[in-house]
Amino acid sequence: MSTTAPVRLPRTVLRLHRTALIVWGAFVAGLTGWLVWLNEVTVDAVRAAQARCSSTSWGCIDVIEFLDYSEPTGYVGALTCYSFLAVAAFTGGSLIGRELESGTARLAWTQGVTPARWLAAKLAVPALVLTAGGTALVLVFRWGWAANRDLMGDNWAFADVFVARGPATVAYALCALAVGALTALLLRRALPALAVSVAAMWLLNAVLERHRARLWPAETRTSPKPFELPYDVWRLEWGRTGTGHRATYHPASHFWPLHLVETGIVLAVAALATAAAFAVLRRRTA
Amino acid sequence: MTTAPTAPAGPVTTTARPDRPARAPRQLRWLLRLHRPAVLAWTAFVLVAGAALLWLGGPLTDASAAAWKDYNACAFSERCSYDQDAIVRYKDVYTYTTSAVLVAPFLVAAWAGGSLTGRELESGTARLAWTQGVTPARWLAGRLALPAVLVAASTGLLVWLHRLAWTAGEGRIDTAKPWDDAATFYANGTVPVALALAGLCLGALEGLLLRRSLAALTTAAVVLGGLWATVHTALPHLWPTVTVVSSLRNGPSGAGIAVGEGVLTSGGDRLSAPCSSGMIPGCRTELADLGATGFYRDVHPVAHYWPLQLTASAVLLVVAALLALTAFRVLRLRTAGPAGKGGPA
Repeated sequence: MSTTAPVRLPRTVLRLHRTALIVWGAFVAGLTGWLVWLNEVTVDAVRAAQARCSSTSWGCIDVIEFLDYSEPTGYVGALTCYSFLAVAAFTGGSLIGRELESGTARLAWTQGVTPARWLAAKLAVPALVLTAGGTALVLVFRWGWAANRDLMGDNWAFADVFVARGPATVAYALCALAVGALTALLLRRALPALAVSVAAMWLLNAVLERHRARLWPAETRTSPKPFELPYDVWRLEWGRTGTGHRATYHPASHFWPLHLVETGIVLAVAALATAAAFAVLRRRTA
Repeated sequence: MTTAPTAPAGPVTTTARPDRPARAPRQLRWLLRLHRPAVLAWTAFVLVAGAALLWLGGPLTDASAAAWKDYNACAFSERCSYDQDAIVRYKDVYTYTTSAVLVAPFLVAAWAGGSLTGRELESGTARLAWTQGVTPARWLAGRLALPAVLVAASTGLLVWLHRLAWTAGEGRIDTAKPWDDAATFYANGTVPVALALAGLCLGALEGLLLRRSLAALTTAAVVLGGLWATVHTALPHLWPTVTVVSSLRNGPSGAGIAVGEGVLTSGGDRLSAPCSSGMIPGCRTELADLGATGFYRDVHPVAHYWPLQLTASAVLLVVAALLALTAFRVLRLRTAGPAGKGGPA
């Protein structure tokens, strides 16, 4: 019996949390569909309005139609970026917290599943699902965000766009999973663990967002004469100095270094939280 | 037990019939004790948000206004010194506090769904309470009444402080949000209070319907988002608009929440505008072909702020009342069957 338990454990996790799995699948599919619709259907209507404007010599009041494209695209980016808050709530509340509160975890540990193996399955299965879904979301958003740049008014350095265009999205989700597990093991109650995990992940994101520009050395340009920076830079500081003009900024090429450093930090926090969660579990069940 | 020795002579009359009047306050005391972490967390949230709003309306507004005054005094001159940090700090704190005010109803809904009713039904402590002389209806009434008062008072305080802070910056800070900016529009009025009360009733109902804490928490927050989106979509149509008619030369004008615009013809018809100004030659001929006499725009001017806010709040309060009634109805259906049975599962 004990030999079959580890094999069945992942399936048990999936079955127990099938509602969450369905919601996550619907979320990924929904955002993907929305972005495809925006870039295949909505964009045609906007382009038609644009063509009507440019075919005449006078002004056009249809520019508002740009918003039909750019606003929802922004929403998709924001939902992709901040999906980790839902992951934190799910992990703290439902995945770990609820079973510790109700005692079903303790029951499982008497059925030939060691606590460490139980937690490993609880973390590994969602981690795989989150990595797969998050990767899909990032790839789709990278395509959708770049497809019609002239219709968008945003910039790669916008807080949510920055995260949604790379592996940091997946890293934040995995970190939320680990932090949620750790808080749930510490608090052993579903609702407080839910609230604390969401708050902790929100705080981590807020701190990293605030110091994001410092994660890679910025470029500085000084000139005695006024100058223009390219439109796609992330401007940090600009203005006059005693003798001339000066600007500090991140060029668009700094996206990947900045993004990967942040991803690394978030993954390190995730690893620490996972190690702490296993340590707490070992002490609790020793 | 502890109240007996300290009780003054007065309560003798109440001890004569201890059944009903004594129960309500005791139930409320229990409710407060049971939800002490939530009460403490909510108090901390309101205090921090309130303090931030006072800070925003006072020192931060003054510093930002002074910086804008310096900036405008520069008038694009070569040398310019102004406190850029003060401007940025005002904007940041304004965004954070406005978000906090708008998030409050969702916190209430999540708590009501997860903790107020759902959890007690899931664990069965509600059923225990009903065997202790507290009828289910009274149990639910106690769970709705006191939180409703506290939620209304604290969200009311937050929106009032938000309005004070926003008013302090009006006309002094060049980048201050206009009254019709969506987030500012809501955070300055009564809608968050009504939304929080609707969230409370919604959470209580979801808890009774789903009888599972986490499911009710999620559903309550999501449905409240849907409710707000519905109110947001319907809001411009809750009060008659003002039509601003402008000449063909000037193009459509009229500030505020725009609901529709186009051209008026001599026959009194309203048509969609082919172009935006009679000053442009091509546009002039096209407008003449249509027989247009002027542009029109249907707007809500700033004077419509309170009618819109109060109508939307009234609608939300009606929704909240309906949700509460449904909750009582669901509870009655659930508890109508033979004792010990959960009713229709």
